[in-house]
Amino acid sequence: MDDDKKLSDLLKEWQLPGTPASLDARVFGPRTPWWKLLFIGSIRIPVPVALAIAAALIVMAVALIHRPAPPQSSTSVDLAGFHPVTDMNYRIIRGDE
Amino acid sequence: MTDTDFQAAYAAHKDVLFRFAWRMTGSPAAAEDLVHDCFIAFLRNPAAFDRDRGTLRSFLLGVTRNLALKRARRERPFRDLDDGSAVAPAIDIANRERAAIVAEGIALLPPLQRDVLILAEYEELTLDEICRAVDAELPAVKSRLHRARENLKRMLRPLLETKGLPHGR
Repeated sequence: MDDDKKLSDLLKEWQLPGTPASLDARVFGPRTPWWKLLFIGSIRIPVPVALAIAAALIVMAVALIHRPAPPQSSTSVDLAGFHPVTDMNYRIIRGDE
Repeated sequence: MTDTDFQAAYAAHKDVLFRFAWRMTGSPAAAEDLVHDCFIAFLRNPAAFDRDRGTLRSFLLGVTRNLALKRARRERPFRDLDDGSAVAPAIDIANRERAAIVAEGIALLPPLQRDVLILAEYEELTLDEICRAVDAELPAVKSRLHRARENLKRMLRPLLETKGLPHGR
């Protein structure tokens, strides 16, 4: 028993420091500003959701491609059937009449 | 588990785990790796901790201990983890600090004796807590602890017989 006590006291002479700061950084990682996340951030999407989104985009693209073109409004004048007048009578109206 | 819970657990247990891992491996760099891996494993699967089976400290010590044994097996695949018949030689203490001699003595213990000794002597866990941390029955833990102490007494006999060597602290 006395030997155990002596051994315990001797073992206690080997003391160690606490954790280094590098461990904190490794466990929690460096803090990233929110605006940086806009450039380097990523999100995890479940595969079924990703497939549904991809299918929806493909359907929308196909629908856009095959959409019938709207009737074109034209500014040109169709002169077909236009005939100049044969008998033109005109009357000049003066301002004091 | 919330972020706050995890941060609280980390702050409360990181030093204990780090010292335990350092004494198990003999290396502060390896200890840092082990404690990091332990907390990442806990973060990924907090449900592995069962409050009814013991304290969080015992659980985390057990995870760190398993990681340390895995590392030992990888580095020395042919060394027996618990060679009960091994008789450790006395350590040469000439011109060396007492703390360094103690560290060498602990490093020379078989891993399954080393872990129970560290948990009992340095972390002052009860025998029940040690049983949970090392996942062993009480008689096995008592036996390993006894063999560890006997081995250390043999190795460190010169220091135990003489008090206050010139290179002591």
